[in-house]
Parts: sequence; C-alpha cells; structure tokens
Amino acid sequence: MTTPVVIGVGMMPFGKHPERTIVDMGAEVARAALLDAGLAPTDIDMGFFSNVLAGRLFGDATIGQNVLWEVGVNRIPVVNVENACTSGGTAFMLACNAIKAGEAEAVMVVGSEKTAVPQLGLINSGQTELDTQLGLVAPAGFALRACRHMADYGTTLEQLALVAVKNRRHGSLNPAAMYRQLTSVEEVLSSPMIVDPLTRLQCCPNADGAAAVVVASPARARRAGLLPGDPRWVSVRAALLATGSYENPQDLLRWETDYRAAALAYERAGLGPADVDVVELHDAFTIGEIIHCEALGLCPPGEGGLLVQSGATTLGGRVPVNVSGGLLSRGHPTGATGVAQLVELVQQLRGQAGARQVEGAKIGLAQCMGGDKSGDTKSCTMVVLGR
Amino acid sequence: MASPGSIRPVATGVFTMPPDDTTAPHLLGGACDRGHGPFFPRPTYCPRCLDPVHEVDLGGHGTIYSYTVVRTRPPLGFPQPYAVGYIDLEEYPLRVFCLLDPTCLDELKIGRRLRLRVGPFGDDGSGEPLLRPLFTVAEEEG
Ligand SMILES: [Zn+2]
Repeated sequence: MTTPVVIGVGMMPFGKHPERTIVDMGAEVARAALLDAGLAPTDIDMGFFSNVLAGRLFGDATIGQNVLWEVGVNRIPVVNVENACTSGGTAFMLACNAIKAGEAEAVMVVGSEKTAVPQLGLINSGQTELDTQLGLVAPAGFALRACRHMADYGTTLEQLALVAVKNRRHGSLNPAAMYRQLTSVEEVLSSPMIVDPLTRLQCCPNADGAAAVVVASPARARRAGLLPGDPRWVSVRAALLATGSYENPQDLLRWETDYRAAALAYERAGLGPADVDVVELHDAFTIGEIIHCEALGLCPPGEGGLLVQSGATTLGGRVPVNVSGGLLSRGHPTGATGVAQLVELVQQLRGQAGARQVEGAKIGLAQCMGGDKSGDTKSCTMVVLGR
Repeated sequence: MASPGSIRPVATGVFTMPPDDTTAPHLLGGACDRGHGPFFPRPTYCPRCLDPVHEVDLGGHGTIYSYTVVRTRPPLGFPQPYAVGYIDLEEYPLRVFCLLDPTCLDELKIGRRLRLRVGPFGDDGSGEPLLRPLFTVAEEEG
C-alpha cells in the first residue's frame, strides 16, 4: 500500500481579517504550500477545497476552483468538501485516498473560511434539524457534556478553565494564533457565561483564515528532492473519517464514534497512544479537549480533567496537546481548522515549530469532530503523521 | 398575541397535539413491525431493516440526564436565558434532546422527573410564533 507523504504546507495568521476574501486567503496559503513543496502549479493533479459556511453567509459555491485558479492550478479534478468542523480532515483523507489509489501523484488540499462576520450567529448543525429547532446551539451540546462530566467524575470548573489557560499559553508562542495574550483561571471563569458552565474564554473564537498542504506519492516526493528519513519526509500513517452510529441512548461522556475512530487510527498506524508525541485536537470548547483526550487514550475515561491539571498535556509535558494554541487560541475558521492542525503537526515533525517545538517529535496525531445528530457526532477525522 | 390553536407546531409527527389543557402531550417516535425501535424522532424507514415504520407513543415523562442554561443571545426568538437538556424517557430506553421550561430553572437537577408540555415558544426565525415541546417539572403525584 502506498504511504502518502506531506511535502508542502502553507499557513497564515488566523484572526479578524475583514479586508480579506475566502479566495485571496486560500490563494495565499496554496501558493505558500506550492513554494514549500518546490512544485509548480502544473505539478498538482488533483485538488480538494474545504469550506463550510460560504454558501450560507455569502451565497458562494464551488469556491475551490476559484482559489486554485488564482495559483495557476486548473484543468485537473477539483472537489469542494463540506463536513462541518472536519471538512479539512475529510479533504485530506480524500487526497490521501486519491494517492493510494494511484489516481494522483500530487494533491493540493486548501481550507479557507471567514466566520468573523456579524451575520454568523451561533453555529448549529443545520437550520432544518429538529435539535436545532429545539435550541441545540453548538456550545449547548458541549455544555451538556460538561455538566454530566462534572457530576459523574468530579471534573471541576478549574480543570475546565485550565484547558483554556494552557492553550492560550501555547498560542502565545504561535505567530499564526489569533489570541496570543496569556490568561488565568480567574480570568477564564469570570468572563461572561455563554452556556453553563462554559464561559466566553472556554469557547473558541470565530476567525478568518486559511491553511494548505500538498500531499504526494512517495515516488513524487523523491522527484521533489526528498528522501525517506529526511526531517521533511512526513508520511501519512493514517487518515480516516468516521461517522456516527446515532444509537440511542448515547453516552454523552464517551462519544463511541470518537473511541471507534481513535482505535482504527491506531490500528492502521500500527501504534498506540503511548507512541504519540504531539496532538492537535478539537478544543472548540474546553470540555471537548478533556473528553477527546480520554477517547484518544491519553488518560483513562473520566480523568481528562486530572490530565490537564497534571501538566502532561502542556508543552514540555508527557504528551503536549494543542501546542498551536488549538481552536481556543488559534481561532476556528471552520473549514480551515482541520488543515491548520496538519500544518502544525508537519512543522512539529520537521522541527520547524520555533518556540513551541515539541523536542524530538516523531509521531503526531490530529483529531477533529463536526456536526451533531441524536447526541452523536456526524463526523470524526483522525490523521496520524510520522517521520 | 395569537392563540395556541392558530399557531403552527415546530414539526409534525414529533409530539401529540392535545385537544385541551387537561390532556398531557406525548412525544412520538417510530418503530417497524419486526420489533426494531422505537426511534426518535420517527425515521422515514426502519434503519435496521428498511421496512416502513409506524408511529409509537413514547409517553410524556422522563428524567434529566443532563441539562444546561443558554445565557448568550438566543436563537429563534427564545427567551434569554433558556434551558435545554437530554431526557431519559420513562417508557422506553431513549435519551432525547429537548427544551426545558425556563420558568423552573432553580428546580432542575440531574435525575429530576419531568413531564412534557407543548406551547407557544420562540418563532421560526422570521418572527412567526411556533408551538414547541418542552419538559417542565412534574407535579408530585398521589
Ligand atoms: Zn426494522
């Protein structure tokens, strides 16, 4: 089986960019990824573009072709991907599958999104869904899990806040993060209450931004001048997408889909939780990081609060989580987030992460989750990268 | 203000529309004739065997599995704050998401028994009021 190689990455600072468009942000990072890979536009033979909200917010469609045309990539198959927060991870999985199938040798994955716009309102899982019509806004789904986690496991408000404090500390070291100022448990807990017990600083900020990667077959990577064993030879050990079972009743503290996807990712990558050096995961809300750490096997179920409190997931700890700052500090341009997670892992594995470098990182794991249906998630992506 | 009788329900086939104030509303689900389900909300086909499904009365009582209060700017013309939760139904092993009565926030806690109520609550996003199901604190029963 062909093992795809990530040979180029492109990133821009996330934040409020009212003067930028989805297309020009996407073009900026796509160009950066091409230059990083040392490829010409005509070397790309397939493209996947990830975006969630442009149709709803701006009435746009098929934007990927516009983005890629801006960087001289045309004629080839281009697919626009929407899968809520996992859109970027889904696009990456499709790119890897195209390489494994031998349909393409070099594939461009771009995610670009604008959510720092006044017309957004609260994110939900789709306006026509019954849950949405009964008030299930995104922070409420996570808050319900937080309340039950606190009741069942004794998880504390302070432990929730520590996730935000940690990821802000990490974000302070990342030039691409939206929030770079440190915060404290007191400041997190005294920020305005959004949905009990999640305060504003426990909810990821809306942001504008884009990220891109170029993934290639091993043969194409060699022709681009890379060799296995180089720090820049970042191979894709697993890239998968799971969807929910929607079984009822759901255990809201253990997304079965999360555990199932994690187990499959470890199996395909031929490794386990103890082998992972650096993790990027879906901390859209603080409780999310706690529950996802449990699903990934970084700690036993129920102990995600203790894990962050122990410092194990801080830069310098046993298994640093969201050293980029995560969604909480980097910001969450929905369709760009999954790709940005991969950019971070590639920079970490190459040893190019600067002040936030995880020393000697060899295996990185990215987890993302998106959409909500019957108490389950609609999509969960896992990517394991290694060098 | 429009009377409840002239207000549209938020969805059809999800809850019974009681004829009068003394009849309690129930949630509605679906099951197939082979014994799969019930499912909530009622699916178009049985997801196990693809047979058609018939309506199942899921009753009107349950207990709180988890609940929370949404304090930020609410959607759909809801009051601020409003409450939501997952309710474990009494008559079937189903955990359903639903609105909770915002007038009894102080009485909500995990394990609390609730009963279904249907009434005008919020709008359709463009100002037209809608009937929505919400769980409220159950009266002590004899
Ligand atoms: Zn059936």
